[in-house]
Amino acid sequence: MAGDAFVRHVVTFGRVLREVGLEVGPGRVADALRGLDAVDLERQEDVYYALRQTLVSRHDELDLFDRAFRAWFLRAPVLPPVRVQQQPQVQQRVGESLVDRQRDGGDEDSSGGEDPLELGASARELLRDRDFAEMSPDEYLRVKRLIALIARRRPKRMSRRRHADPRGDRLDVRRLIRHSLRTGGDPVDRPFRARKDVPRKLVVLCDVSGSMDAYARALLLFLHAAVGSGPGVEAFAFGTRLSRLTPELGTRDPEAALEKCTEAVTDWGSGTRIGASLKEFNDVYGRRALSRGAVVVVVSDGWERQDPELVGREMARLARAAYAVVWVNPLKGNPEYQPLAGGMRAALPFVDRFLPGHNLRSLEELATVLAGIERRHAA
Amino acid sequence: MSGFRTIDELETALQAADYLPDRGLSTALFLSLALEKPLLLEGEAGVGKTEAAKSLATATGSRLIRLQCYEGLDVAHAVYEWNYPRQLLHIRAAQEGTVSEDELFGPEFLIRRPLLEAIDSDEPVVLLIDEIDRADEEFEAFLLEVLSDFQITIPELGTIRARRRPAVILTSNRTRELHDALKRRALFHWIGHPSIEREIEIVKIRIPGVSERLAAEAAAFVRELRGLDLAKPPGVAETIDWTMALNALGRRELDAEVVEQTLGSVLKYREDIEQVRDETLAELVDTARAAASR
Repeated sequence: MAGDAFVRHVVTFGRVLREVGLEVGPGRVADALRGLDAVDLERQEDVYYALRQTLVSRHDELDLFDRAFRAWFLRAPVLPPVRVQQQPQVQQRVGESLVDRQRDGGDEDSSGGEDPLELGASARELLRDRDFAEMSPDEYLRVKRLIALIARRRPKRMSRRRHADPRGDRLDVRRLIRHSLRTGGDPVDRPFRARKDVPRKLVVLCDVSGSMDAYARALLLFLHAAVGSGPGVEAFAFGTRLSRLTPELGTRDPEAALEKCTEAVTDWGSGTRIGASLKEFNDVYGRRALSRGAVVVVVSDGWERQDPELVGREMARLARAAYAVVWVNPLKGNPEYQPLAGGMRAALPFVDRFLPGHNLRSLEELATVLAGIERRHAA
Repeated sequence: MSGFRTIDELETALQAADYLPDRGLSTALFLSLALEKPLLLEGEAGVGKTEAAKSLATATGSRLIRLQCYEGLDVAHAVYEWNYPRQLLHIRAAQEGTVSEDELFGPEFLIRRPLLEAIDSDEPVVLLIDEIDRADEEFEAFLLEVLSDFQITIPELGTIRARRRPAVILTSNRTRELHDALKRRALFHWIGHPSIEREIEIVKIRIPGVSERLAAEAAAFVRELRGLDLAKPPGVAETIDWTMALNALGRRELDAEVVEQTLGSVLKYREDIEQVRDETLAELVDTARAAASR
């Protein structure tokens, strides 16, 4: 029933979808053709759904699909969907100070091979305490790999799944039966099963507004390594709005990953709307229970100029769903610092651990806290 | 195997089972039967994902087998388990140690769980795998295997192959992304909130004897709620529950007082309830009543 021209039409449509970023393999196109074969082609609605249900597999692709469908099949005067491109000047804003200094410092690949651990003990100690904002490009390259090492430690939780373990806490009855056959039904040998620790979900929300510029790069490197440590890590950036960075940070090479982040985030170095960003997170991702049972880390200096009350409200929501909430504020590295900024003050009652994160030592502290974090004490 | 030649035929059968799908969902269910592919349903809580599978079972005259997923779900609870107490008793009863392993691990000692039940069935089956996103990834990988071969291997008994493929409906609340391989294997449909007309129809069909006016006003009120900025906007399930409560209270229309008293069955979060209290509530009731009388 499906003529050649028709088949070509659908195949080309599949290619159009692929171009806008949907994963449309030959299997899906074949399904689409079979699907169209089964429905009434006279009914536009049925054609639409048959194509959508066979070619799209994610909710967030529906919009792209709809636009492509309108343009391709209905010949409606809409522009074909194009992934948003960034203006070059925005790209340059990523942790500007550090990037610039690093460029001055010359080729990064050659210095990247240096083992940071080969530094003398005292130099290492010095580096450990140095504020990221004050590092030279050379020092920065040294700490890069240390950051990655630190970030691999993850919070743990007990899995409900059990595996064979002689020190386990539950009898392995299947094996018990089998073993007891040899002894006439007497359970001489008692195999056990135990639960094992698995990584707990970790969600990191990182402030990339102007006031955080000097720290953004180091913290993103930390995030990149955390995402690379295994499944169950979600990363977001926010300034005036929220962007999900998990896919971008999934790229193995840290520099390439950071590059992709720059493209994905539209508001680098912008103002801060912490409350609104937290709300977006709670509405969109919290509702999908992304934060439930997770350790949530917010990295920000707490400079909310607009609505501190909203920050408090959204932090309360976040804290209720999360297993524990950690706030990392680079300003806290200064012993004089007092959390007086409106947003920070509003958030603190809902924070379990409040940490600095302005240098290597404080990142280590963060990793230690994350690895052993307990369920919220202050409710 | 589907027995339905057109989407319209299936739609009629679903309606006879008291389920009112929109065209998109009917198409999805129809294609799932026609192409013999699992269907993955996603959507906000309470839009009727589970209901869809149940109605499909009724409409196709199939048996519904449901596997509710949760973290830590394993083969013993999803596929099969050996009946250990009976096995032990059997060994005891045989005394002289003449029990062979074959005997002990035979079908009569097997406890069949939903997946095995669905594969090893002679009658038509709709297999509902509910909230797959709650199961862990190891289980998802295992499920992928079952859904590609429709066969299950029990080491002691051998491989059991499906004699007729069950229709498979998976639901997910998107608490995590599912594996691409699983998604590739399935058709995908996103269920949104129904149109107001359809929602009124759904309420009427689910609550026999409800006043036309109450159904319309309740649906309009819930629709207003969904337009607000709530932590958890109510789904169709909430509309039905709430209208049922109002109906049980003998109400034939809405007023601010009764809405205030029963708000807890529509909104499930304290902040949401607080946000809707007082002036907002009176206003919403007025808007809903006006919309319903149009």
